[in-house]
Amino acid sequence: MTTESKNMSRRKFITLAGAGAGFAAMAGFGMNLDWALNKPEIDTDALGINKISTDVLVVGSGMAGLFAAVKAHDAGANVMMVSKGRLGASGQTPFAKGIFAYDKDKEEISIDEFVAKVSRSALGTNNQAYTRQLAEHSLARVNELREWGFFESSLYNKSFSKPIEERNIPLQERVTITHLIKEDERVVGAAGFSIDEQKVLFYEAKSVILCTGAGGFKPNGFPICDLTHDGTIMAYDIGAKVTGKEWNDGHPSRGENPAACYDGWGDMFEQKPGTTGIEVRHDLGVDMNYMAYMNGGAAQMGPPGMGNQDNKVKGGPFTPEEFTKRDRGDGPPPGGENRKRPPRKEREDGPPGMGRGTVVGGSSAGMSIHKAEGLVPINDKCESTIKGLYAAGDALGSYMAGGIYTQIGSSLSGSAVQGAIAGETAANYSKNVKSHSISTSKLNSIEEEILAPLKREAGYSPAWVTQTLQSIMIPNFIIYIKKENLMRAALAYVEELRDHHVPHLRASNLHELRLAHETKNMVISAEMKLRASLMRKESRCSHYRLDYPEMDNENWQAWINIFRGKDGTMQLEKQPFDTVNQINSVRNKETV
Amino acid sequence: MPIKSIKGCIGCEECIKSCPTDVIRLNPDSKKAEILYPEDCQICHLCRMYCPVDAITITPDKSIPVIVSWG
Repeated sequence: MTTESKNMSRRKFITLAGAGAGFAAMAGFGMNLDWALNKPEIDTDALGINKISTDVLVVGSGMAGLFAAVKAHDAGANVMMVSKGRLGASGQTPFAKGIFAYDKDKEEISIDEFVAKVSRSALGTNNQAYTRQLAEHSLARVNELREWGFFESSLYNKSFSKPIEERNIPLQERVTITHLIKEDERVVGAAGFSIDEQKVLFYEAKSVILCTGAGGFKPNGFPICDLTHDGTIMAYDIGAKVTGKEWNDGHPSRGENPAACYDGWGDMFEQKPGTTGIEVRHDLGVDMNYMAYMNGGAAQMGPPGMGNQDNKVKGGPFTPEEFTKRDRGDGPPPGGENRKRPPRKEREDGPPGMGRGTVVGGSSAGMSIHKAEGLVPINDKCESTIKGLYAAGDALGSYMAGGIYTQIGSSLSGSAVQGAIAGETAANYSKNVKSHSISTSKLNSIEEEILAPLKREAGYSPAWVTQTLQSIMIPNFIIYIKKENLMRAALAYVEELRDHHVPHLRASNLHELRLAHETKNMVISAEMKLRASLMRKESRCSHYRLDYPEMDNENWQAWINIFRGKDGTMQLEKQPFDTVNQINSVRNKETV
Repeated sequence: MPIKSIKGCIGCEECIKSCPTDVIRLNPDSKKAEILYPEDCQICHLCRMYCPVDAITITPDKSIPVIVSWG
């Protein structure tokens, strides 16, 4: 990395002056540059520009976005919802079929006991304030969903539309938000572009709630190819702290047709959703990656667990003894109504989504644990480190479950619970904030950044940069079975992409423009993932270091926060586990 | 090919709206859905499930482009 690029301002990073100069020089040597030439299909000068004002802007239309919009509206705010995809039909929400509800009349253990059990499974990595909040609010959210018809269809658009339409909440779909806007040390809006309307869109908002989900490296076999950590990187770019990048979702895919998400999950995507009750687990997934690494190849799946019991190898990721029993089969946990659900097809070879027969790793590569990665909250109200900026669901690093999957169905209900809290909090905040007119110079510079890939005469295709990133990050020996030297090597590659390829991304149309911005977000996320994984010199939950295989309680009872330093470089810091809970308990005592 | 064909489209745009990765677009002339960016299909079947007339065929295979040193 050169000094110049290291100290580059963000604007230059994106719009690098003379980005085509190198290519022009190559043409001067008589090289054929057909591969690099941008062949624009649209006239950027003809693109329209719209400016819209609202109190609360909700970005994302999955489970968290739904409740954020509804509750912000019900708390008296003007709300607008924008989505890169479609309400209830993008991100991970449409594929999640179990939703956890804590019903005190049905459960045998108290909320205190539930929180304690999750904390034991999470090896201290969970944030108890958010774990408790999940249990306390989940049933109310599930009951609202039931009223809207959520449990009556396998497709969620109709039930999600009901409360949005009843409240006349404006909804814009297929809009890619690329920028958060900060002025006077607070969030004042966002910007992006509409694929269908062919417009650059600016939103002036008193507060913004990111319900943008998590993301991955557009991996094969898990339905997250539209999730590229957009919210996290936008927030990081304006100075927010983010966390949770070292943890790993460990879902594998089938050896045969590994990219086929639908086929890997059997007929689950076509099932109606159902509720789940308490069953605290310690589902690693990454233990399969270890087994494959040590055995030198793909893993054989077999019921009832995630790994073939005859094929066990010594060492590897640690599971607390209390959670080692694998007697659950692949059925839903008890306590919920899913008990009555008919058996799924083809269930003899292993749980849905965990592959069948021979499996390969990395289907969700680039994704951390649900609710573990995302914006750092400063309290239990989904408030980020930037004034007026909130996040909920997988965009918030709430550590509701910790660095490991602990409670089945909590991913979906956690998004509902946090969305509702973020919505209400943002609405109340907005009541005391005056409207802010974003400066023209800011609007102009952001428009330039958004459209830069379309205006480049030559450059790299987003597909090729993404593919290169996948080749660097997804291998088992980089992202799952981690060790110092290989992560340092991967980081050098990622820095190369960041400094010499991202500034040259080209786009010939709005589909590619979306890909270009997504690619940039994935590259930054890869850097975060490697730096956090290098920093955490221990193994715990879904983070496994071959060179530091033991848990280190002396030094690592801490989360890792990531933020942009004053010189533009990526900085990392430790935050002791469960800080939010400690802050809240102090606050509660003061209130009493 | 992941998403393979659309036959019998009625132009309702349900598949276009429901595709998380913007693979399908409305042909401005025929006013029917067409597969424009199949390389970005994640084989999740949402388009097929939202299609009211069962017009969409999807196969589980995906031809991943060969790795080249620039592109």
